[in-house]
Amino acid sequence: MTTRIKLFRWLAVPFAALSVLALATNVTAREPFTAAELQAKDDKLYASIKRGYDMWYGARADMANNGLACANCHPDAAATNPQTFPKFLPMFNKVVTYRDMVNWCIENPQGGKALDVRSDDMTALEAYSYYLHRGVKIDTGQVMRQTAGPTPNNARGFRAQGTGIGFDK
Amino acid sequence: MSVRKDSSRRNFMGLAGKAGLSTFMAQAVGVNLGLVDVVAAQGGKRAVTPFRFAMISDPHLYSGNDHVFDRQLEDAVKQVNDMKTQPDFVLITGDVSHHGELDQIAKGKRILSKLKAPIRSIPGEHDWYLDMGAGWRAAFGNETWSFDHKGVHFIGMNSILVPDFWTEAKLTPAQRRDWFMPLNSPVPGLWGVHDKQLEWLAKDVANLSADVPVVVFTHSPLWDYYPRWNFQVSDSKQVRDILGKFVNVMGFHGHVHHTVYNKVGNLTSIGTMSTSWPWPYPPIDLPYPEFQQNRADPSNTSDGMGSAGMAFDRDGGVFVQYQPFADSLPAGIKNGFKA
Repeated sequence: MTTRIKLFRWLAVPFAALSVLALATNVTAREPFTAAELQAKDDKLYASIKRGYDMWYGARADMANNGLACANCHPDAAATNPQTFPKFLPMFNKVVTYRDMVNWCIENPQGGKALDVRSDDMTALEAYSYYLHRGVKIDTGQVMRQTAGPTPNNARGFRAQGTGIGFDK
Repeated sequence: MSVRKDSSRRNFMGLAGKAGLSTFMAQAVGVNLGLVDVVAAQGGKRAVTPFRFAMISDPHLYSGNDHVFDRQLEDAVKQVNDMKTQPDFVLITGDVSHHGELDQIAKGKRILSKLKAPIRSIPGEHDWYLDMGAGWRAAFGNETWSFDHKGVHFIGMNSILVPDFWTEAKLTPAQRRDWFMPLNSPVPGLWGVHDKQLEWLAKDVANLSADVPVVVFTHSPLWDYYPRWNFQVSDSKQVRDILGKFVNVMGFHGHVHHTVYNKVGNLTSIGTMSTSWPWPYPPIDLPYPEFQQNRADPSNTSDGMGSAGMAFDRDGGVFVQYQPFADSLPAGIKNGFKA
């Protein structure tokens, strides 16, 4: 048996598993997408963004031991500047990712427990923050101004429905 | 109490008392920071006796002991107490507590009672919506007030009033309060001073001469800075109209947790740092960007916060000196400025 055949056989199982998974979720990873497929993708994305929003505002208690949440210092994810990562930060003395900085904030100002960087919750925090910064130019490196903030319109639209209370009816 | 290594360098009265750059600058703009005696009216101008007052804003105290925000408020109290010439009074511009809980308000009053000078207070939204101000009033008194001091008319108003959104929705007091926790909360809408205080304000200033310097304190700014974060007062135009007859109106506010400056008509508006945490500048162009404080270093828990001291001169002008805990100010305002 040639090496090439051995490789094909070795890859066959995971490819088959992925194909089954794709069929099971009814969402493919290539164009052309149907409207239903696009909706399914958006639903998954917005669910993650909403989870990130809730966590940003304190939904996960173990992210702080002093009552602080991401939103205390970063309303609308302002001054987080995810578009500037990876970059060198003095508190790490190395180049770090946005996820590293999120965990630094959780552990230091908030005194909480760092998230698993591969967890859905970390992805959700990223999803919320990046969603608000969509359209902002990627500009890796140090930020000199106080904020390179998102636009107000970027902060709306991911909630499936309003709260039904007050001005949010 | 933690001690800021550079607090003495930034101390307002320390600066004022030294023959250094700040004093030179103060004299250059016509302010004599050392003058405390009564000065007679000159050239038809309203007589103002030079004096000082200080500001502490947005402590956002949490429950429990030894919270970092407790120590930061204590540091602000120390900054003010260390002024070589004491301010005549200290204005607390709201959000003493974070959740409006009685223990948080009591802790704030206890820490602020260490000030040598008397205090006057106005509430913030965090103080108010758990019990609609009952606990705050019991600790700090009426939220709407005025007094005359050495030729200046001082006004304090509650600027965080919103229409009732909780009764119809059958919210508990805690649920009502919690909708004010996010700065960008979609529920309460824009807040303001509302009709009752507007009527009070009109009566309060009706008999004052137009040349009387007026200082008005509100939690949020009396101009549309960034309404999405309630950096505004919804009826600020009515407030400005009522105060429109005066030559010199100064508005001081908290809520924004950073330095900001603007002029709207006859109103000069000045925002102060908090003692709790710095808020970023919103994604708009500032009217006076030179007053923007430096980007805070998140690894320095002292950075971006502090108190402020103000000195009235004989002509009713005010020299403003922010007192940051760390080196948070750009060169243009580091040594104070004439407002």
